[in-house]
Amino acid sequence: MSMSYYVAPEQMIRDKAEFAQKGIARGRSLIAAVYQAGVVVVAENPSVSLNKVSEIYDRIAFAGVGKYNEYDRLREGGIRWADQTGFTYSREDVDARALANYYAQHIGDMFTDGAKPLEVEVLVIQLASAQQASKIYHVAFEGTITDEPQFAVIGGESELIRARVAEQFDPAASFSEQIQHCVTALSGAERTLPVQDLEIARLEDIGERRTFKRLTDAEVSEILAS
Amino acid sequence: MRTSSFAATCKRVVNRVGLPLFDSGTDPGPSFIAFLNEATPDSVFRGVAEELAHATTVVSLRFADGVVMVGDRQATAGYIAERDVRKIAAADRYCALAISGTAATGLEFIRIAQLSFEHYEKMTGRLLSLEGKANYLSPLIYRTTTTTPFVVVPMLAGYDTARKQGRIFRYDRIGGCYEQPNFDVIGSGTPFAESTLRLGFREGMTKDEAINLAALAVYEAGDNDPSTGGPDFVRNIFPMIVTVTEDGFEELAFEETSERFRIINQRRTASGGRAEGDLR
Repeated sequence: MSMSYYVAPEQMIRDKAEFAQKGIARGRSLIAAVYQAGVVVVAENPSVSLNKVSEIYDRIAFAGVGKYNEYDRLREGGIRWADQTGFTYSREDVDARALANYYAQHIGDMFTDGAKPLEVEVLVIQLASAQQASKIYHVAFEGTITDEPQFAVIGGESELIRARVAEQFDPAASFSEQIQHCVTALSGAERTLPVQDLEIARLEDIGERRTFKRLTDAEVSEILAS
Repeated sequence: MRTSSFAATCKRVVNRVGLPLFDSGTDPGPSFIAFLNEATPDSVFRGVAEELAHATTVVSLRFADGVVMVGDRQATAGYIAERDVRKIAAADRYCALAISGTAATGLEFIRIAQLSFEHYEKMTGRLLSLEGKANYLSPLIYRTTTTTPFVVVPMLAGYDTARKQGRIFRYDRIGGCYEQPNFDVIGSGTPFAESTLRLGFREGMTKDEAINLAALAVYEAGDNDPSTGGPDFVRNIFPMIVTVTEDGFEELAFEETSERFRIINQRRTASGGRAEGDLR
């Protein structure tokens, strides 16, 4: 006969948090930062095809760290939700805050009720419009949601990197200045990140409906060399 | 194109609440339609929609660097209901989609196609091939014909970035897809427009020649078919002219479109209504 032992709720939450944090800490970090004309995401990602940063909708991007299969499923769910909402109502009704809330609910549910917590942290990034400023929603592994007006860091050494980004952060910096600042913050003083280990994408208004663009290695090299 | 007051009944999509997540066994993949089917109730119509004369004329024609598509702007409901309908749309950057048949179904068809191609691109990170887009529409047409009493027959023309050439696909009302080597026409003005294209088509035409011929074909249809709207010099409404090339989908500006039809009209006026001259 099996015996079930009493585990204090505090202990259980601590164990789950430790488990999720360990999983996330194994992954490399990424930074989302507002610049003069939009929002840029700079990620350390050695893989060419397994993306951390993706387009969700016209003015919304997604970024995730941790276990790839777990955050990629969230990405797919987000695209489906956005496309369906825009089809049912109107494109302008697709709202990043609503999506971030759905992510928070799901990640939170998995943390408390799931077989294991999701080992992910995600950002939902909304590009500024005439009605509102740019926003970066951060959903943590236990479902906590925060919104950052200027920048957010997720992944392994996020505290350390956050401190480096915060030093001399300028939301009015140009596109290339902000990328250089983020790459420096991501790599730290001891190492330099090769171009092929960087995944960089941005949301910016250039007169088209869709605002997401992923930078090629050549474009990144050019910016870092300037 | 015919208008219908049943637009609301055609909205077969029900919004579900919450984040749509699936396990690996039921995941619908990058197809928007497969995903929608999860949330679509059974339709009530059991039968096949009657084929109507689709009050429209849209022509497409291949030229050296791509395709040109020209479509009239009129919608009828026994009378002229709309004079400025846009029956051609960019399904995505590299392909143009035109519709004939019931307006409500047709316009929803365009929205679903546009959304589906973008959805696929975002889900997978790559563009659907032109042939992939053409095949994707077939079951969509079949479903419209068998689940609603309305008919929609589209026409797809685009630039195949892999083969580096323009390609045209025609459909029948139950979704059969047939690639056309030279040109295609849909709608009730087909006999007149197609005759014009048959006589005027040459292999490897320039963009300019192709636009003139396609515009003339729609002019002929507007002149002879009561359900096709020709150039409207009173209201300044002209058929849409679009091209798709390596540079993507492009719609001709109003000034250029109106000028092309003005020239055809002047020529026709000068010859007393008879089709004369080199390019008639």
